[in-house]
Amino acid sequence: MKNRIFFGGLLLLFLIELIVLFQYAFPKEETSQDTVAVNEIVKTVEHDWNHMEEHVNGTSLEYVVIDLERAVLYRTKAGLSESINAAIAHKDTILDVEADGVIVGKVMVYNDDALAVQSENQTVLFVIIIIMLLQGCMCMGYFFYLRRVMVKPFDKMKYFAERIAGGNLDIPLEMDRQNLFGAFTESFDLMRSELKKAKIAEARANASKKELVAKLSHDIKTPVASIKAASEVGAALSLDEKSKKNYEQIIRKADQINTLVTNLFSATLQELQELTVTPSELKSEELRELLENADYLHRAVIPPIPSCLLFADKLRLQQVFDNLFVNSYKYAGTKINVTIGIESNYLIISIEDYGGGVEESELPLLKEKFKRGDHRKNIEGAGLGLYIADCCMKKMKGRLDLVNGSTGLKATVWVALGSGI
Amino acid sequence: MRKLFLIVCSNIRKAKGQTAAIVVLILFAAMLLNLWLMLSMDYKANFDRYHEKLNAEHVTVTVDDHDGSIKEDLSEKLEKDKDVAEYCLDSCMHMTGTFPYNDGDLSSWFVFMKKQQAIHRSVGKAEIVEDSDDTSGVYLPMLYKTDEIQAGSPIEISIGSHTVTYTVCGFFNSVMTGSHNCGLMELILTEDKYDELEALGYAPNATLCSIRLWDKSENVTYEAALKSVVSERFPNVVMISNSYNMVLQARYISQSICSAIMSVMALLVLLIALIVIASNIINYIQVNMKNLGALKAVGYTSRQLICSLLLQFLGVTLLAALLGAGLSYCFLPSVNTMMISQTGIPYAIHFLPLPLVLSLFILGGTVALSVWLAARRIKKIEPIVALRFGLQTHNFTCNHVPLDQTKAPLNAALALKTTFSGVKHNITVCITMLILSLVIVFCGVMTANMIVDTTPFINLIVGETADSCVSVKPNMEEEFLRKMNDDGRVEKVYLQTSINVTHSGGAELLATLCDDFSRVNNQSIVYKGRFPKYDNEIAIGARYAKEKGLTVGEEIEITANGKTENYLISGFTQITNYLGRDCLLTRSGYERLGTLSDANYYINLTQGTDIDAFHEEVEEEFSGSINATVNIRSTVESSASIYVSLMTMIVLVILGLSVVIIAFVLYLLVRTMLNNKKRDYGILKSLGFTTRQLILQTSLSFMPAIIISAAVGLTIGCISINKLLSLFFCTLGILKCTFEVPVGFITAAGICLVLLAFAIACLLSLKIKRITPKALLSGE
Amino acid sequence: MREVLLKTEKLSKSFSNGGTMQHVLKNIDLQLYQGDFTVIMGASGAGKSTLLYALSGMDTPTLGAITFGEQTISELNPDGLAVFRRDHCGFVFQQIYLIDTMSVMDNVLCAGLLVNKNKNALIDRAKELFRAVDISEETQKKFPTQISGGEAQRVGIVRALINSPEILFADEPTGALNSQTGLDVLDTLTKFNEQGQSVVMVTHDMRSARRGNRILYLKDGVMLGECNLGKYVHGDAKRHEKLSAFLKDRGW
Repeated sequence: MKNRIFFGGLLLLFLIELIVLFQYAFPKEETSQDTVAVNEIVKTVEHDWNHMEEHVNGTSLEYVVIDLERAVLYRTKAGLSESINAAIAHKDTILDVEADGVIVGKVMVYNDDALAVQSENQTVLFVIIIIMLLQGCMCMGYFFYLRRVMVKPFDKMKYFAERIAGGNLDIPLEMDRQNLFGAFTESFDLMRSELKKAKIAEARANASKKELVAKLSHDIKTPVASIKAASEVGAALSLDEKSKKNYEQIIRKADQINTLVTNLFSATLQELQELTVTPSELKSEELRELLENADYLHRAVIPPIPSCLLFADKLRLQQVFDNLFVNSYKYAGTKINVTIGIESNYLIISIEDYGGGVEESELPLLKEKFKRGDHRKNIEGAGLGLYIADCCMKKMKGRLDLVNGSTGLKATVWVALGSGI
Repeated sequence: MRKLFLIVCSNIRKAKGQTAAIVVLILFAAMLLNLWLMLSMDYKANFDRYHEKLNAEHVTVTVDDHDGSIKEDLSEKLEKDKDVAEYCLDSCMHMTGTFPYNDGDLSSWFVFMKKQQAIHRSVGKAEIVEDSDDTSGVYLPMLYKTDEIQAGSPIEISIGSHTVTYTVCGFFNSVMTGSHNCGLMELILTEDKYDELEALGYAPNATLCSIRLWDKSENVTYEAALKSVVSERFPNVVMISNSYNMVLQARYISQSICSAIMSVMALLVLLIALIVIASNIINYIQVNMKNLGALKAVGYTSRQLICSLLLQFLGVTLLAALLGAGLSYCFLPSVNTMMISQTGIPYAIHFLPLPLVLSLFILGGTVALSVWLAARRIKKIEPIVALRFGLQTHNFTCNHVPLDQTKAPLNAALALKTTFSGVKHNITVCITMLILSLVIVFCGVMTANMIVDTTPFINLIVGETADSCVSVKPNMEEEFLRKMNDDGRVEKVYLQTSINVTHSGGAELLATLCDDFSRVNNQSIVYKGRFPKYDNEIAIGARYAKEKGLTVGEEIEITANGKTENYLISGFTQITNYLGRDCLLTRSGYERLGTLSDANYYINLTQGTDIDAFHEEVEEEFSGSINATVNIRSTVESSASIYVSLMTMIVLVILGLSVVIIAFVLYLLVRTMLNNKKRDYGILKSLGFTTRQLILQTSLSFMPAIIISAAVGLTIGCISINKLLSLFFCTLGILKCTFEVPVGFITAAGICLVLLAFAIACLLSLKIKRITPKALLSGE
Repeated sequence: MREVLLKTEKLSKSFSNGGTMQHVLKNIDLQLYQGDFTVIMGASGAGKSTLLYALSGMDTPTLGAITFGEQTISELNPDGLAVFRRDHCGFVFQQIYLIDTMSVMDNVLCAGLLVNKNKNALIDRAKELFRAVDISEETQKKFPTQISGGEAQRVGIVRALINSPEILFADEPTGALNSQTGLDVLDTLTKFNEQGQSVVMVTHDMRSARRGNRILYLKDGVMLGECNLGKYVHGDAKRHEKLSAFLKDRGW
């Protein structure tokens, strides 16, 4: 990158030099006299002819005005050709001055070609000198750059090699990855560290070999001893006893298989008979929806539900709540108080109405099949609801408690928290 | 081929946003390109078609003719002339005059003709396009049909210094004499009105001569030759003429400006599309280094991979270009009505296959080239290296902006780090911003010089303007001047008369005479050398000088009234009137050839003076000695209003496009940056950087490039805009623009642009919100 | 009782996976104490990393609450979380995640300057930490791609500690390293812990796990128990025995 910039710059400067020189060698056009300015001179001189002392040069040219008697009437500066002969010799422009159609004098416009050429030469020289200086500077800069990136690293490497030869492997070679030789010097340092590693590994391998030999000699003693003991026992046993032992073994195994099959059979049978409850993880917020669905008469205010993950079957849980709310509507028909809280591994939902509750004696019977509270006989229903609800809750690793609260029957649903235990 | 197609499809699917952006850019480019090509290729052809349809003339001349002698003479001459294919001579009346148009006055040299005569001419006939039941009144060229000027409405036309009122009967179309900038403007009168006007004697009788030549290209020379022959035989007779070339140019000036601007815009949009495509590909190669390596390892050749990219972008480009060309046909009707209101020549929209093919070819070619140039580096990928390292990140760049040393606040420092690490992004941003800042400068200059203050532009197009022009008979000149100089309302009064002279061995030139050119308002008419000062000096039109290879300092021969004198060229002028065939002479310079018959004086009035009232006053005071008065201000304003509305639209479109373009480019860059730095942003977020901080960082990282390039672009723009514009206007003969550059306005616009870019970058990098530290953790 | 730093209540995290909900963490109740070296162990897929990210405010839990002192961080918005992370947490990642375009020093400072505006003090702190983890001055100037994995991970630790966070979170810090450099990194973590830094590390590797004082075992998103190794010094064989017994109990 740096090289590209350097050589690009050098080339550019060289090109500029060439262009300047070519321009100098082949000038585009001949220098010509500024005819418009000359015309202006003549016109202004003609205008001012009668009072030349007030004449002012309005152009950038230098000239001299003489009358027919060759007397100088006006000169823009000293040192110009002041006679026609001198003007011809100097290739000046000589023009007539007319007044009222009669020639009254001459204007000699100074030929400044020589000056122009000189100033052009100077400019070219100046430009070339500057460019050459620049080139020189760039070359010098590059030289120092090269010295820094090439000569110095090699010097450093020399000392490094001397140290390695002397067996000193601990001192790393300082390196500079931006350096031209970064990768190169790096591999030298790699060589040093590899050498060092090899040295250490060699020492370590030697030590571990000795250890292994000591260990193996000790281990072989043990199995040899047990083979000896087993041979002693074998010699003492008779043939008949051995077959009897085999029979006992078979009977034991048969018993084991029997119990396993029995277990398997009973487990499937039970499952076939009962409700399928498939609990899974459920966000506690979803309970709100369930409760709101169940409380279709809006008799309860559902409190905020603590956020946690439940382990329940959403469908069955809905069934449970439906049951509890319908029962309350049926038998109490009052406002319902719902409280929700977390206790150890359960989310507890208590649903209590203001119906006064049931008799203490009836409480345990409520969850039985086909049982209903005594004083509720005039209300239709099969009396299965709470039993199913209880079953469901049990299958969800939760439970359903029914007690008489302070104002009415209080159903408490314990929903297990999802923890998979 | 099938395999390649699969790669192409998956590429396009993966980069939907980028493809959409490219599609939109190409769509714009294709639309503008196609519009430009249609305007520049078919509108002039349409002129020729119309010219042929009406069998219009190549040279038109009206000559004062009181007794019919000139008509006879001319017919004799034309009959013999081998160059002439057809000609038609008719009697008419002619005079300079004005009528109100577009809130101003329109001034031209009117040629009055009888209706029957005008529509039945064998050469250069007029075509009535709208007629009404009115049987007595005037027909106007269809260009002048506006809300105020409708068939049936009255119109007040001032002829010389008299005013007449006619009913507009309808509109007609004439190719060569149908617009005020044609030099001659025909007005068709019904028989009764013609006779009435003839009886009033407001306009002298004349002969209208229309000539068709065998060789159309000779029209300018023939015009000059004919006029010099006539003026030699009948000196001091008023003679006005125009030629095919001049009319063509005059009627299509705004159309060429419009198409030139469109071409520049199309090229700019195309350039940006190309940059976007190229940066897209470079980015694609970087991101997909591993995939490309894998494909190469499987056995794809570099050529196949490059071909797949070519296929992808060319396919998209060609489709978008086709759509864009289609879109251009949707816009064409509105552009067309605008163009017709400028040219006054009806144009029927039809499908043009050539511009379509050309624009498809240009777009396809440039896109293919840029894809190929950008995709070349695929050749350099070595499969194993690419597979192992993927992105080549192990560049031991120096640590830009080390945090332990920098004084900059954290966000700025991190933004600067990003800036330094994305050189390619910076280059794209820089190029876009440079171009856009040039565009901004252009808009600024145009707004300041054409919309807010129309004078600079008018000076450029029209040449010299003042408030009023009064044509005085020579005998009253001195008294007139004395009166004027004493009048407090007059700021400045100077001679500004135009007269025809002939360059020996060349064409006829329209000489503008002035007693002292240092007094004229528009000092930039002469763009090289200086105004003529002495009686032997002349300044000539730059276009004409270029044609003839004349240089400043040379001497030329000028002939007028049968007399020939030598003049020294002191400078070049840039006036677009009269095809650039004009010259400036001092009054004393002209008087070496002959005397002035009328003297037109331009007058600058003080602010708030009612120009028309002033004219009335002057006419009363010098009654009989005043030929005509023209309210230059209102004349110029009416014709300028068209340009102003055109330019306003262009400026608005350009600004809108710039916003769209910068949004696109930033969109692409931000997208690639977010893709490339997704991991880094995830890490930074996990360290506790908020979304706002990261958005700020991303947007700030573009700012150095944007600010620097905007500053550089605006500076370069301000310095070089006049040169660029003169390049742009050189077809109109303007070689040196001297528009004032509104630095304050441009700076403000630049700051707005930078702020806009920042806002857009912030908006686009809102996507950072979606980068979460979690995605970083689960993603890998 | 030791001071509680971070507390979770019924923390759960669920992902939607093609329509079905996947519950990665289930009702985790957890307390992290000041000065502890807590290790969260479990097989891959047990939800260890998810737990760590939830604890450290990289991610928001689906259910439950996380409280840090008085602050309930599970209620913060993303930017609030970012501020929480920068002020109170440090991270060490398995993939290290240094920013490749910044030098080692800048990687550290860019995290530090977010919180600490006193640049000189910060640089001093960075240098001190670099010394503590044995990163030379020269390495500090290098870029992440130029240094070894072990060095990079130690830089990662420095970056995590630059703001003196209350808790240092480490997600399998040795996962991407070979055994020797892994040990170095563990030594470094242990050292900082002994100086009083609270550390929470996630791992499925026994060797790493036995560095902790308190081992939590996570299986299928449920906390299956904890094991305290605090009373044994590092390197004591009893540590290993007790830990293996604990893990064996839980079906490791």
